[in-house]
Amino acid sequence: MKNFIEVTELKKVFGNGEDEVHAFGPATININAGEFVSVLGPSGCGKSTLMLMVAGLLDSTSGKVEFENKLVNGPKTDIGIMFQDNTLVPWRTVKGNIELQLELRGLNLKDYQEQINNILKSVNLDDFADRFPNELSGGMQQRAAFCQAMIHDPKIILLDEPLGKLDAMTREKIRADFQKLWMVKKPTVIFVTHSIEEAVQLSNRVILITPRPGKIDREIKIDLPYPRDLKVKRSPKFAEYVNSIQEVFHKYGVI
Amino acid sequence: MKKFIKWIASGWMLILFFIGFFLFWEYSIPLFDIPRYILPSPSEIVLKGSADLDKLIYYTGVTALETVLGYIIALILGVGFGIAISFSSILRRTLYPFFVSIEMTPKIAFAPLFISWFGFGLMPKVIIVVLVCFFPIVLNAILAFNSLSNELTLFYQSTGASRLKTFFSIRLPAALPQCFVGFKYAAINATVGATIAEFIGSDKGLGFYISIVTGNMRPDLAFAGIFFLTVLGLTIFGFVTMMEKILIPWHISMKRINK
Ligand SMILES: Nc1ncnc2c1ncn2[C@@H]1O[C@H](COP(=O)(O)OP(=O)(O)OP(=O)(O)O)[C@@H](O)[C@H]1O
Ligand SMILES: [Mg+2]
Repeated sequence: MKNFIEVTELKKVFGNGEDEVHAFGPATININAGEFVSVLGPSGCGKSTLMLMVAGLLDSTSGKVEFENKLVNGPKTDIGIMFQDNTLVPWRTVKGNIELQLELRGLNLKDYQEQINNILKSVNLDDFADRFPNELSGGMQQRAAFCQAMIHDPKIILLDEPLGKLDAMTREKIRADFQKLWMVKKPTVIFVTHSIEEAVQLSNRVILITPRPGKIDREIKIDLPYPRDLKVKRSPKFAEYVNSIQEVFHKYGVI
Repeated sequence: MKKFIKWIASGWMLILFFIGFFLFWEYSIPLFDIPRYILPSPSEIVLKGSADLDKLIYYTGVTALETVLGYIIALILGVGFGIAISFSSILRRTLYPFFVSIEMTPKIAFAPLFISWFGFGLMPKVIIVVLVCFFPIVLNAILAFNSLSNELTLFYQSTGASRLKTFFSIRLPAALPQCFVGFKYAAINATVGATIAEFIGSDKGLGFYISIVTGNMRPDLAFAGIFFLTVLGLTIFGFVTMMEKILIPWHISMKRINK
């Protein structure tokens, strides 16, 4: 049986001649429907590049991406994607920015009012619905961008370091909420992160990428029960996973 | 609150400066014995100017019509061409470099030619104002419509929104702040264009008035004309600034916070 997402020998080289930068690959990744996969790797190894190619927003140099046997050859629109830099527009409020996603997709705003309130509440931004992005802190902007990426309830979710700018506590809370959401709706998730703990806590599988040009060093299946609450996080098995990943990056001199 | 007090303080300083400036002007004329046909005093300008008020108001209207008409035409053409050039790679390789090279020539140098081609009427003045205003507007509009951030481009692509929807929801509002840079610059230049066009050839308008009274050794009336011209320029600029505040309030507040 074919996999839900198949990334085959995917490679990206930016520029040409002297300016050539080999950013990623070649790498092959298979992902099942409903699977939560984290992509972990040092800065500049091509994680964002990989994500954009999977979303069909960046042409690959060679190789291919397929969703359910269908080749990706243009922007995929049936996804939720959160970019590394937020996509909030300064002329709309937090709520207006979330609605922008719906408007661009031609969805009816009235049907989503309750969902907007709920998702804002879940990231503690309900009091800031009518504020403009420049009135928010960096972490609050990131939370608003998270809501913007998720509001249309996508079945495929690509997140590029969505929690990177958050304080430890908020980060913990949103992780837990996101895990709950994933357990209920079972979307397929590709989650780019710098945090080893975060990857282990959330994922079915963690893909470790080598320094640039990023290739797959190894994939680690995380065999821990969901929900992975504090008890699981304190278990020796959890620590073992974290340690083994740390060792890999230690080998590369990244940590 | 602190900022408000600061603002009041700086505002008062400016007013005091102006009062001081005009007082100095008023009293340095008898003091240094400057003949009135060289430089009249402010009080004399007000006195003689108000005697000629009807004419001044009528001529202000004439110049205002030329300026505003030319400015609006330049606005429509400039934004139109700006959008067309931003979205067409052919135009970007042909019209755009053409406009950039024309931008280098001082447009006002064409004024005598236009007067000789189109006569003394309204049209040549309007054309000159259009010419003076068009280039800053179109060049800033091109810049504006080409500077959408990479993320926002990717974002709308991932939604599958139509080009028209993207234009009104993202591209246009994102472009407005940079467009207004051009609009404001053009607003400053618009009255300059109209005045010089009137200097060169006309039978009414503030530029015509100033050149005639200067020829008649009446600098007092020339200053009165300049005053009305200044008021006209400030009004147009103030209107554009007000439109900016109304259309892109988010941009103004952003600037304030960044300070
Ligand atoms: N548009 C581009 N043009 C040229 N080079 C690029 C471009 N985008 C990325 N690169 C290069 O490709 C490499 C990988 O970049 P990428 O953004 O994918 O890294 P990353 O793994 O996401 O890093 P980080 O964790 O810091 O976000 C980098 O060396 C970068 O300089
Ligand atoms: Mg990145």
